[in-house]
Amino acid sequence: MKIELEREDFLTQLQAAVRVASTRSAIQALSGVMIAAVSGSCELRATDADMSLRVPLQAQVTREGSVVLPARLLMDVMRSLPRSSVKLELRPAEGDVEVLSGNASFHLRTLHAEDFPPLPAVDSDAGLTLPLGAFVETAAKVLGSASRDETRPVLTGILVSASGHEVRMVATDSYRLSVKTTQLATQLAHTFEVNVPARALQELARLAAHSEDEELSISVRQNQVVFAIGSTVLSSRLIDGQFPNYRQLLPETFVQELRFDGAELREVVRRVSLLAQKNAPLRLAFAEGELTISAQTPDIGEARESLPAPFHGEAFEIGFNPEFLREGLDAVGEAEVIVKLISPLRPGLLESGDGSGFVYLIMPIRLNV
Amino acid sequence: MSARCVAHIDMDAFYVSVELRRRPELRGKPVIVAGRGPRAVVTTASYEARRYGVGSAIPVSVARRLCPQATLVAPDFAHYRAVSAQVMGIIRSHVETVEVVGLDEAYLDLTDLPAPKACMRLVLTEIAERTGLSASVGIGPNKLVAKVASDAEKPRGFLVLTRREACERFAASSCRLIPGIGERTAERLGLLGVRTVAELAGADPGLLRGEFSSWTTAHLQALARFEHDGAVTQERKVVSESRERTFDRDISDRIELEASLATLVDELCEALSDQRRSGRTVAIKVRLADFTTHTRAQTLAIPVRQREDVGRVALALLRAFTPARPVRLLGVRVAGLASDHAAAEQLALTL
Repeated sequence: MKIELEREDFLTQLQAAVRVASTRSAIQALSGVMIAAVSGSCELRATDADMSLRVPLQAQVTREGSVVLPARLLMDVMRSLPRSSVKLELRPAEGDVEVLSGNASFHLRTLHAEDFPPLPAVDSDAGLTLPLGAFVETAAKVLGSASRDETRPVLTGILVSASGHEVRMVATDSYRLSVKTTQLATQLAHTFEVNVPARALQELARLAAHSEDEELSISVRQNQVVFAIGSTVLSSRLIDGQFPNYRQLLPETFVQELRFDGAELREVVRRVSLLAQKNAPLRLAFAEGELTISAQTPDIGEARESLPAPFHGEAFEIGFNPEFLREGLDAVGEAEVIVKLISPLRPGLLESGDGSGFVYLIMPIRLNV
Repeated sequence: MSARCVAHIDMDAFYVSVELRRRPELRGKPVIVAGRGPRAVVTTASYEARRYGVGSAIPVSVARRLCPQATLVAPDFAHYRAVSAQVMGIIRSHVETVEVVGLDEAYLDLTDLPAPKACMRLVLTEIAERTGLSASVGIGPNKLVAKVASDAEKPRGFLVLTRREACERFAASSCRLIPGIGERTAERLGLLGVRTVAELAGADPGLLRGEFSSWTTAHLQALARFEHDGAVTQERKVVSESRERTFDRDISDRIELEASLATLVDELCEALSDQRRSGRTVAIKVRLADFTTHTRAQTLAIPVRQREDVGRVALALLRAFTPARPVRLLGVRVAGLASDHAAAEQLALTL
């Protein structure tokens, strides 16, 4: 393999690949990235056995071939190079790759390319095409609610379903549940429902941010999903097991339904949360025409702030984890927020008031006093 | 506001000295406080035993070889805690701001006292009279100088240093002298040719930045100049709690290992329950037969202290790690601890 490329472009692609490359695998090749120069084009490949990524490289290919190099080291070397033009050449006899830039030269020992698994390609027949922006924005709304607790793998994923004119994503860590439904302009060719690891969708969102493409193609087969943005291909294993039936978890009726300015409520929550440290709850006390949010941390201090609320009925107080409430309000965004409540020990619901199809169910904290 | 004045008081060979009160016939002889079992390590050694090279944390088998005539005493932590409480009580009766950092150590803020040295002499006299124990004291403008000074002339040391005096006195000492510079850091400094406190203080920051971040560089050099602005805080915040066990023989059987983990989790969760504290991070520590130590941690959405929650996460971490060699030591830790708020129980969806 012998190629020549531009450092900046290479670095951007390499950063994405490094995030996917394994950090803790027993197979050394998985901690590397593969540079594959085949049939006139060049790409970078990385995988950690659960997720894999292929990103195109703009390169002049003099001689075809593939090499696997240690990902982090390659990135450090690329960052440090003096000139923007870089030449890479495999030296089979030495078992290394020569990196030349300006007067600097490096020889990097290669990793075993045969240990590097083949990565899935896009299956254009089974694929489904969606607007990239809509898909990624939908994911961004619910990602925060996915669990990071690996002991319950099913909750570390996002349930992604697509059918008719809709894409819906659901995530829950059992303390909150986010559902975002996005309407599409066109009818989808297929329908599917899969549980995608949150990490893969996070990576997809990052890739989308750097892409000018507007289309995303998705294909699902057996236990794998393949996303393609142009010639960038991200694939991930799907999570086995039954995702909770979220419809059952959403209460059908609520006692209170209160509308707030989303930005204002968020600001109050953010301020008062400063004094809800050390696992202390945020207290929301509803009284005629008013909501008072307060927090108290022993030995630290307390805070309270009231804001007008269209509340009528018997006064009550409900406690929430400040972080969970803040994340919900952040996901609703600037829009009007509808707060729906039943009683202090039943789940509360935040809903965006602009009809954008986002709901955030949040379990309360039991207040003893 | 007057300049800060801090004292560090460190009991001399605390556990051994406490044992000697109960067994005066051992006075003047080498005594080692250590647990039992083939892999026990020395908890404390009397100064007589230290002369033979016996120090804390060395294996008992080695200590026995170095000093065969030493008397071995099993540790009695409940008793040490009681004596420690008595000592700290005496200190508190003289000084208002006391930061206890262990059973046998405390920092004292003497800033507003008219005669700090006289006060510390009085504290030492009273401790000696009422408990029969001796301690070493260091006094300085900050905790770092006080700590290093208390250590410099042990036992029964009493050393007062300004920052400048500390720089001069310890200029030729190894960087390891400074608390916060461990073996690894000293090794990395050594590679850059920096070995002594003075060399570190005077080193070109550019040189250090090749090996350390610029924040760490600034931090290390400040330490070497004995600059430290940490306040003496009343309450030492213990932010993590752990239990670990060194096995009498290395364990490779998975079932045995998991059973041992469950026992450690039980002990840890019982302590957390007594303290009414919980934390969001659960971690395991595994030392393998080749002495490499590995840790794995998971941070959860809400704080936990129940045996089921801690156990479930610790077990998953252990299974994901799958030790490549027999295991010598196993530990479990819950970090990010905070008191359970009197009014906090996060409810969960029934999934």
